[in-house]
Amino acid sequence: MNDFLVLKLLDRLRSGFRRIGVDYDLMRSILQVKLTMDGRRTPTVLAGAQKREQNKDSSPIRVHWLYLLLGLVLIALIVQKDHYMMQMSLIFGVVMFMITTTLISDFSSVMLDLRDKNILFSKPVNRITLNMAKSIHVMIYLVTITLTLTGPSLVVSLFSQGILFFVIYGIIIILMDCLILVITALLYLLIMKFFDGEKLKDIINYVQILLTIGITVGYQLISRLFNITELGLSFKPAWWQYFIAPVWFAAPFELLLGGGRATYLIVLTVLAVVIPLLLMAVYLKLIPLFERSLQKLAEQGSSGRDSARLAGWLSNVFCRNREEGMFFRFTWSMMKNERDFKLKVYPSIGFSIVFPFIFLFNMVWGEGSGIAKDSKAYLFIYFSALLMQTVVLMLRYSASYKGAWIYKLIPLPETVPIYRGMLKAALLRLLLPLFAVEAVLFIWLFGMRIIPDLAAVLCALLIYSVICFRVLPQALPFSERFEAVKQKEFTTSSFILIAILMVLAGIHYIFTTFSAGVYIYLVILVIANILIWRITFPQSDSHTGHISHFQG
Amino acid sequence: MGLVEEPVISISGLWMNYSDRMVLRGIDLKVFQGQIIGYIGPNGAGKSTTVKIMLGLVEGYNGKVEIFGRDIADGDTAYKRRIGYVPEVAELYDSLTAREYLTFIGELYGLKRSSADNKAERLMTLLGLEKSYDMRIASYSKGMKQKVLLISSMLHDPDILFLDEPLSGLDANSVMIVKEIFASLAARGKTIFYSSHIMDVVEKISSRIILIDAGSIVADGSFAELKEKSAEGSLEEIFNQLTGFDKYRDIAGEFVACMQEVSPV
Repeated sequence: MNDFLVLKLLDRLRSGFRRIGVDYDLMRSILQVKLTMDGRRTPTVLAGAQKREQNKDSSPIRVHWLYLLLGLVLIALIVQKDHYMMQMSLIFGVVMFMITTTLISDFSSVMLDLRDKNILFSKPVNRITLNMAKSIHVMIYLVTITLTLTGPSLVVSLFSQGILFFVIYGIIIILMDCLILVITALLYLLIMKFFDGEKLKDIINYVQILLTIGITVGYQLISRLFNITELGLSFKPAWWQYFIAPVWFAAPFELLLGGGRATYLIVLTVLAVVIPLLLMAVYLKLIPLFERSLQKLAEQGSSGRDSARLAGWLSNVFCRNREEGMFFRFTWSMMKNERDFKLKVYPSIGFSIVFPFIFLFNMVWGEGSGIAKDSKAYLFIYFSALLMQTVVLMLRYSASYKGAWIYKLIPLPETVPIYRGMLKAALLRLLLPLFAVEAVLFIWLFGMRIIPDLAAVLCALLIYSVICFRVLPQALPFSERFEAVKQKEFTTSSFILIAILMVLAGIHYIFTTFSAGVYIYLVILVIANILIWRITFPQSDSHTGHISHFQG
Repeated sequence: MGLVEEPVISISGLWMNYSDRMVLRGIDLKVFQGQIIGYIGPNGAGKSTTVKIMLGLVEGYNGKVEIFGRDIADGDTAYKRRIGYVPEVAELYDSLTAREYLTFIGELYGLKRSSADNKAERLMTLLGLEKSYDMRIASYSKGMKQKVLLISSMLHDPDILFLDEPLSGLDANSVMIVKEIFASLAARGKTIFYSSHIMDVVEKISSRIILIDAGSIVADGSFAELKEKSAEGSLEEIFNQLTGFDKYRDIAGEFVACMQEVSPV
């Protein structure tokens, strides 16, 4: 176990903690264990077998380079002097979004550790010590992200804006952290009040998707925001702005530095100070309630019947024989329920939704005009298939990979139906809904004329999925552990697959250059589809279904 | 046992309900030094809840629980220093190594880090886990984890041990060792309070058996005493009789019949 720097810093406050009834040495041990565990959040089989690996524990406080980058970008916002309301609202908006979503997605597993109760509460440790250890643990985490994000701009502000600005900025950041902490905790409390633990974990999942999309889009937008600020938009308070926290936090700057004396500024400043402190007080009162709700997390929720009917119907329509249908339904329900799978794959769903639009808007902004109705920018929709390679790669992993003994035990004639059922389930459950959403948005942007093209894209994406399956190493679905993911192997194939996707889009482009080309392309694609599916998944002679006569 | 002896655990009129259902309906219980108590009952009878209340893990009960003569509701957690606990599910921080985990638990019980480490290593060695001491617990088998839990509950030489299925996952040899440990601890005046579903084990090692069903105690006494009261022979049969469960033959019969039904293809 490392002796963490943070703990050495805390040691200086030892007597202070003692005075309020905290057993400092115990608290220190608890924190040390907690921080060590954070650094090892994915335990590996071989871990511990080699002593050397122990020293390589990554620090729990990993400074994410992306956050630091964003923090550096914020410097550009902080040095401007004319529009405090605008620039500070923006900064706090970005920072609050990042910190809140990170706190919910990353740190929830730490804050909501169910083992704590049995392990720690059964020991002779008083409540003050336990609560303090928990609070400090959260605080260490929160302060680290906050400093990574705001540190660069904070330092720069001292030199460019002067000491007063620096001090206000610092105080507001602390208030903001209080607000975020309380909001997150209250959100958990609310969810746990109405739903069970499973639901909470699902919601954490969705927040992760939101985070991914947020980072991607935010990164794209930030550079454009400068133009807006330089245009010198003046701040006009609207009633709804009283409800937006970043605006509250921006008000003190305008009031104290910008020389604004309007009533709304005073109201907003008061809100910025009072609301976080008020909520903090409420939160402290609610901590016991929070602890009690945690028990609910462990309880098995009475989940309703899963929609096995939909999967059953789809498997009848799209699968050729019993084995294939069986694995279609198996993959379907595993994708739905396996949380680790969702955790790994959903962020890439986020990317796949957002990427086509980012490329699209980049082009539009670059040209400075609206979307030309006759442009071929709709081909960016090919990027929605980026998701497929992650999905196909991840389908083989599972947290409960040990359940794969079942494959060895049951008498399976061949593996072809397994893979075919698996791939079809992935297509129908993930790619097609995503493509449908994108297609609707693209039709709305480009008009009905692109419908034949979209049909061609769909066919091409089906082919692409099979290519993904063939390029990536094959393994039975959900039969390997997540830790076994080999990053290098994936990177090479990943580049090849992206290149193939671009080639597909390129071919499509060539066919659009002459009239009726898209229809010819469509016919070719349909034939290619039939061929590639037949070749990849050769039909077995024996078990061709008398159960289902439908063609896949 | 002397006449003036005070009970180490004294529970009177203990009621507990979770949001909608009653889990405990008036438990009265006195436990004395040196007893090995088998706390048995069907799933959901309230065994774990009783133990968790005594450990201060569950609050909001009605009634009085005294351990070492002090009401545990008085807010002083010092009594926990003299208690060891092995929870039902193998709940431990398994991303730590056994060394880190056991040393930590020792510290929580007020031992010095070095002495906790030293003691834990010796105990691990005695149970044949010396090579695994610096491996992460996540890589352990079920039996190894159970041994770590057992060690973690005894590291600080407690006067009462609360054990939930203490033998689960252990091989026959380890079971012998652990049973012997229990017996010699009891002989030294320690109290062992454990729950189990394996009736043969309970029958053999308990000096007193408490059977709880639907939140109330339905039988309390040594195995010999229970046997006298009941017409049945083994503890398993006594258990069935007292919990009013006599349909096991019917259910098994139906199960097999259902299993062998020819499914319509």
